[in-house]
Parts: sequence; structure tokens; C-alpha cells
Amino acid sequence: MPTRRELIRELTAAVGAANVLWRPEDLLVYEFDGTIERQAPHAVVFPAGAEETAAVIRACNRLGIPITPRGAGTGLSGGAIPTRRGVIIATARMRRILEIDPVNRLAVVEPGLPNLQLSEAAAAHGLFYAPDPSSQRACTIGGNVAENAGGPHCLALGVTQNHVIGLEVVTAAGEVTWLGNRVPDAFGYDLRGAFVGSEGTLGIATKVVVRLLPLPASVVTLLGIFDTVEQASHTVSAIIAAGMIPAAMEMMDRLTIEAAEAGLQCGYPPDAGAVLLVELDGLPGPVETQAARARAECFENGAREVRVAQDAHERELLWKGRKGAIGALGRIAPNYYILDGVVPRSKLVEVMARVSAIAESYGLPCANVFHAGDGNLHPLILFDERQPGMPAKVLAAGAEIMRACVDAGGSLSGEHGIGFEKRDFMPWLYSETDIAHMEQLRGVFGNSGDFNPCKLLPTGTGCGEMAHQEAALRAAGPDAYV
Amino acid sequence: MASDSPWPRPADAPAAEDLSRCVHCGLCVNSCPTYAITGLEAESPRGRIHLMKAVAEGRIPLTATVQSHWELCLQCRACEAVCPSGVPYGRLMEKTRAQLDAAPPSGAQSRQMRRFLLRNVVARPRVLAAILAPVRWLANSAVRTAAVRSGILHLIPPLARGERMLPNRVGAPLRRGGDVPQPAAPRGEAILFTGCVMGELFGDVHRATARVLARAGIRTENAPLQVCCGALSAHDGDLEFARRLARQNIDALEGSEAPIVVNSAGCGAAMKEYGELLDGDRAYAERARAFSARVRDATEYVAGLGVETPAAFTGRVAYQDPCHLAHAQRIREQPRQLLRSTGCELVETNGADMCCGAAGIYSLVQPTMSAALRERKADQFRAARPDVVVTANPGCQLQYQAAVREAGIEARVMHVMELLDEAQARAETERQD
Repeated sequence: MPTRRELIRELTAAVGAANVLWRPEDLLVYEFDGTIERQAPHAVVFPAGAEETAAVIRACNRLGIPITPRGAGTGLSGGAIPTRRGVIIATARMRRILEIDPVNRLAVVEPGLPNLQLSEAAAAHGLFYAPDPSSQRACTIGGNVAENAGGPHCLALGVTQNHVIGLEVVTAAGEVTWLGNRVPDAFGYDLRGAFVGSEGTLGIATKVVVRLLPLPASVVTLLGIFDTVEQASHTVSAIIAAGMIPAAMEMMDRLTIEAAEAGLQCGYPPDAGAVLLVELDGLPGPVETQAARARAECFENGAREVRVAQDAHERELLWKGRKGAIGALGRIAPNYYILDGVVPRSKLVEVMARVSAIAESYGLPCANVFHAGDGNLHPLILFDERQPGMPAKVLAAGAEIMRACVDAGGSLSGEHGIGFEKRDFMPWLYSETDIAHMEQLRGVFGNSGDFNPCKLLPTGTGCGEMAHQEAALRAAGPDAYV
Repeated sequence: MASDSPWPRPADAPAAEDLSRCVHCGLCVNSCPTYAITGLEAESPRGRIHLMKAVAEGRIPLTATVQSHWELCLQCRACEAVCPSGVPYGRLMEKTRAQLDAAPPSGAQSRQMRRFLLRNVVARPRVLAAILAPVRWLANSAVRTAAVRSGILHLIPPLARGERMLPNRVGAPLRRGGDVPQPAAPRGEAILFTGCVMGELFGDVHRATARVLARAGIRTENAPLQVCCGALSAHDGDLEFARRLARQNIDALEGSEAPIVVNSAGCGAAMKEYGELLDGDRAYAERARAFSARVRDATEYVAGLGVETPAAFTGRVAYQDPCHLAHAQRIREQPRQLLRSTGCELVETNGADMCCGAAGIYSLVQPTMSAALRERKADQFRAARPDVVVTANPGCQLQYQAAVREAGIEARVMHVMELLDEAQARAETERQD
């Protein structure tokens, strides 16, 4: 085991002193992501480019120090938490757009680039990048690759997996290589496909080649206002049964609406039981026809009102409410625990009732946001972590809700990943053999257990309690062993 | 018990309920200018709040490192405007600065010096006038022009820096109580807030504001007992003095229903928050809220008058949002609407609402970060090639003058009121012709 001093010296040799953080106060702000887990690293490094990244990884491997990659720290499954401490490799110094190729409709970007900045830059060429997580103002393309991120507009267009065609990666072994390239649909084993969604357990992408799509000629956004979640759910099924694939179909329940409206003044009626945000895009004629049909389906299923955004500003406002809804819940409670379950769309109403019952049995308030079109639900349990025993209670309620999703024929994650928080649930869906094969895939990329440890698979050692590490932080001088 | 508090000045400690609002979702980080430059979590709003929480919970002591992260904050409040959870970041940071004011882990002397200057120079009209007189002379002098032309400044970097911070050209001051243009037939009345540095260096803006008001039939009162708004002191943590100034302004300007029109976005934002600042002051809390309710930014007030005074202006105009107008007061549309009404070509540059780095006394206290942000603006101006850069706050105006020089382009830097006044005057002349 090296001392802290030795570790810092090695990291400094790899990236320069200005790009290594080691003071306890500086490390403390890297102890969290978007979840409720906490663990501070021993050091944070900011490499620029593949070579520096590789040097850092090799140094850590030599010293036997765990590595955790980190983008913007907005993740919702604990993927960027340094569970076994060690070194965080942050991508904040790699945030350039290297190229936009409007003819071939692709862009080459660095992993630390915030998602929204790519679409903003592509807009100049009439193009956009499709995956649009609600955190897109902040979250990075590299983080999106790791989590195979989705977003409201993935209903029609698919998730990150469908939009990344090539990657320059530094593997967990510290080797630089390309997976896929600038031409889609490469032959042979799809290692690019294996890497996207690997939750930072196989390596770090240092360049990402993404597909860009032309901005739609016409967009209609409408807001269906309902008294109950059931009515809104039935509308979702009806719209899909009618043969439409809206660009997005998002639902929010009463508690979420209240918070979003209070925080963002987005024009949602605060007394509604549910709102359904439906966006249709394409050529002007067909879009108008579809919008009329979607509107009719809303009323057919009991909508009390349907509002149609009259211009870009109104559309933006409706989306602002949706994209800020989760953060807005901070107005109601100091903490939330956001879940990410997927169920067959036909089971939405049934599972919703189960979710409410579970939350109620724990005496915990629960708000709900759904990517309703693909049966992806995000129950948010609201709590105050300062109440003794609360985090454990919340996690238990969360586990029961996830179980309910799986029992209904669903899965453990639509877009947030498994991370640390749900790794113990993996056996609900995968056999021992499945998990052993995944473990072997890690080995192929050189991860023997120290590269983003304790994430995704229910294996590995030293992943128990993430104890409160303050005492350790304070006591750890430069000569303490790490 | 006060002594149990981890904060050196518990009475002004960041409130637990404000801190707990932050759910570290991270939606703020890319709006933060210092995060944009550094990419460091500790230089982001989320990181700074996390450090506040850590100190409040006694997890870490208030160290010089923690202090440095808090002090690099511009207090532009861009994060506050995008926060879905409504974290009152400006208030949190002011209260945090109050703790540094009470017991700074490092740099105590420069803090004391700042406090002294803000209390005894900036807030004292006659002293300020005496101190700024040579600045005005230097800014307008032939010596400066010659020094710039000769290139000698490049040899002496501190002088070059000093020169860059000088205003382009300074008009006659317009101090409290001074005469202002009035309408022939008044239909309403407003109080013009003259401020401290604003009145000394931007008398032209005050006169332009009064002329715009006069054309709309508004009589302008220039109250003689008004004082500095106290924003600079509050941002630096000297809440005690900020409260004293707030009370003085309330005494000076209450007793009328007339709107208080402010053409300095920073002052306006601070005065709209007097109610909050004096919340714990039994004698003043109610009066402060009533006062704040009367405060209007000049652009907000003029746009709200609904008078379409003919105005004619040609050229490319790049409007840059002052942070305390766009983020603190949430006023974005009115200045643009007024500019568009002149017929000019309004160009939107990238990051028009990102801080220019002036940020009150920030450019003096954090020159490196301030320069980095100014350079970003210079890059934008070089790309957009505006004829006029327009803003609505004195500090920003000075910083944009420097940025325009740095960009090497020929562009004027004006306040919205100056451009509007010029455009209205031009329309008048054209009509007479």
C-alpha cells in the first residue's frame, strides 16, 4: 500500500500538480453525485486526452489503487461515487467539441462535454443530438455513454446506445484503443455496444463519435391535464394503439406538478392530478393530423383540458417544467431518492398503485415522473436524511418498489444504470452464469475489480457499508496509507 | 446556544432550511462562470453549498481553502435563476461572506482594508467625489491618450492594467440632490436613485435616464438625503453596514408612493431585497418591505410606462445582461424590448447573460478570474462585431469598455438608457428636419 504522499507524487507525474486535488476540503465536494450515497476519494485527477488518462490508470494499477470515473456528478445510481475511495478520474478538462461533420451528420466530442452544449452547437447546422436526459444542462456525453442515458425524446429515437458509433477509450488496463469508428454498423463483435452502458467499469472514453439528426421541420407540443394518473396512463396506451409514435410522452403526478409549478412557473395547473406532455414532430401536415388525434385521445380518456404550445417559448416553458421537476422537489423535502423502474406499458396503472401502497406503508411521501411512452417510471421518495434511521428506511422502500417492477415483468433500470445502489438486485433478473459472463467481459478490458469497484455487478470485496469517513478524512495526513 | 455554532457570527449564519433546499442535482453548474473556467466542483454553486453544509454540520473546519472557494464566487446568481429547487444562493453566499467578515482564516488585512474603504470612502459622497476627481481627470486627459499611443504602457504591466480599468471618458457627475432634466407637462413622478460610484462616473447615464423619463412625462425627483445602496458591503459580508445604509435610504425616500427608479442593476437588486436584509429589525422590517416594493429598474419602469416615444437608431447592438438584472431581478425582456423599439439590429451573442467579471469589487479582489471572464466577452465581441455594446450596470459598463478595447474593435459601450435617449433625440431631430 502506498502512502498518500506517494500516490499524489505518481498522479502529479502523470498530469501535473495543477490537475491533482488532494486537500480534504477539495475532496469533500467529490463525495456525492445525484444520489444519497457519499464517499470521498483520496485524490481527484483531471487528465487531458487519452495519453494522460492512460498514464493515470497505469499508475493507479501499479499502486493497487481503485479508480472511479466521473463526469458531471449528476448520476442517479451512485456510479460516480468512489465506493472504495482511491482516485477519481474526472473528465472536466476534456470538454471540447472536436468536430461537427454536417455532411455525414456526426460529431466527435470529448467525454466531459455537457450534453446540451452539443445540441446547441449542432443547431447551427440544423442538427441535434437525440438523447436528452433531464439533466442535459449539466450531464456529460461521457457519463451518458457510461449509463446508456435516455431522456424524454428517446421514445421515438432510442437511447445513447443508438447514437454512439465510435469511441476512443482507455481500458481499465490503461491501453488506448478504438471501439467502432466513424462509420456505423461495423462488422465483428460489437465491443462498442458492450462499452456503452458499462457504467464506467470497462474503461474511460476519451473521444466519442456521435450521430446527429436533422432538426424536425415541425413540432407540436401539447399538455393534457387530467384529474387522475389512471386517465393519463390510459391516454398513453390509446395514443400508441392509434399507431402514433410521439417524439416524447411524459407524465407527472400531483406532487411533482405542484413542485414544478412552484419552482419554475411553467404553467402547469397546480390542482391537476396528472399532466401528460406529448410532443409530435415531423413534416407539418402529418404532425397537425397526429396532434389533433392525440388531443382527441386525451379528451376521450377524461382530460379536463388540453393546452397546445403556441410558439417555441411556450414549448420551452412546458419542457422546463418537466426537466426541472425532479430538482424542484427540493422545495418539498430536503432529500429525494429517485427510482428508475421499467414495466410493460400495460402494467403502468397496476404498478403505480403498488408503488403508492409501498410508500404509504413506510409512511413516506412519493412523487412520480414517468417516461410514460416506454413504461419507464421514476418514483421519488421524499425524506430528510437528518432524521435518524431515515436513509435505511428509504432504501428499503426503494428495494420493495424495484421488486414490484420486476414482478410485473419489468426491469431494474430504464436509463439511470445499476451503479452501487441496485447491484444487489441483479440476481433478480440474471442467473449466476449470466453474472459470471459479465464478470469475464470486465476481465477482457483489464478490470480485475479495482476499476469502478462495487458497481453494476453484485461481486467484489470491500463494498459493504460506506461508513461516515469524516474521522478518517481528518486524521489522514500525507503519510497515512491509502 | 450561540457558542455551539460552527459559524463565527451565528446571528447571520446561512440558514439550515436554505442549505437543505439544495439536492445537488447539478443543473446549476454550467451556468456558473467560475465553473465554466475551472471545471472544478469546488468552484461551482453545488460545491460551494456542499462546503457550507459541511462547515455547518461541523464536518470540516472553516479553513483558508474553503474560504478561497467561497471568495472566488462572483455572486452573479446565475445559478439561482436556473435552480429548480429554488435555493436562495445569493442570500446563502452573503451570509457565508458575513462569516468570513467575522473571522477570515486568511487575508484578514485586505478584508479590513476593503471594509474601511467601503465604509469610509464609497459610502461618503464627499470623500468619494474627492477620490474620484483625479480618476475622471486621468480618464479624460491627453496624458492617457499619449501614453496609450506611445505603447509605453506595454512596458509597465501594472500601469497597463490600471489604464485598462479606467473608464473611456467620464462626463460631469450627477450627485444626489442635483438638477435633472424635467418634462414640460408632468403626468407622473419618480425618484431617481443616484448611488455612489454611479453618480460620480456615470452622471451621463442619470441625465439620459431623466431625459427619457421627461419625454414620457415623468417628473424626476433627485432626493438629497439618499445614500449608497450598500450592495458592495453586503456582498463582502459587512451586513451590519449594509443594514445601516438601507435604513438611511428608507428614511430618505419613504413617505411617498413614487417608484424608486434605479439604473444600476446591482443597486436595484440590493434595494429590492431590503425587506429581506432588515427582516430581523423590528423597527424597519415592515418599512423595508414597503420600500422594496417601490423599487424599479429603469428598463423595467420605462418599458412598463407603455409610452412609445419615437426612437431611431441604426447599427448592430449587442445587449449584455447585467447579472443582477437578469438573474437577481429576472429582468431580461424589457431592456431588449426597449432596444428593439429603436429600430436597431439587436444581436444575441453567446453567453450574453454570463458574468463579465466586473461583479462589484470582484475585478479588484480577483483580477485573474475577472480577466478570464472579460476575455470571453472580448472573444464574443470579436466574432459578433457589434457597433454598440449595451448593458445596464456601471461595473459592467466599465468592464465592457475594457473588453471592447481588448477585442480591438470599434464599438461604443452604452447603458440602455443612453442608447434610448440618443435614439429618441435623433428621432426628434429627424422630425424637425
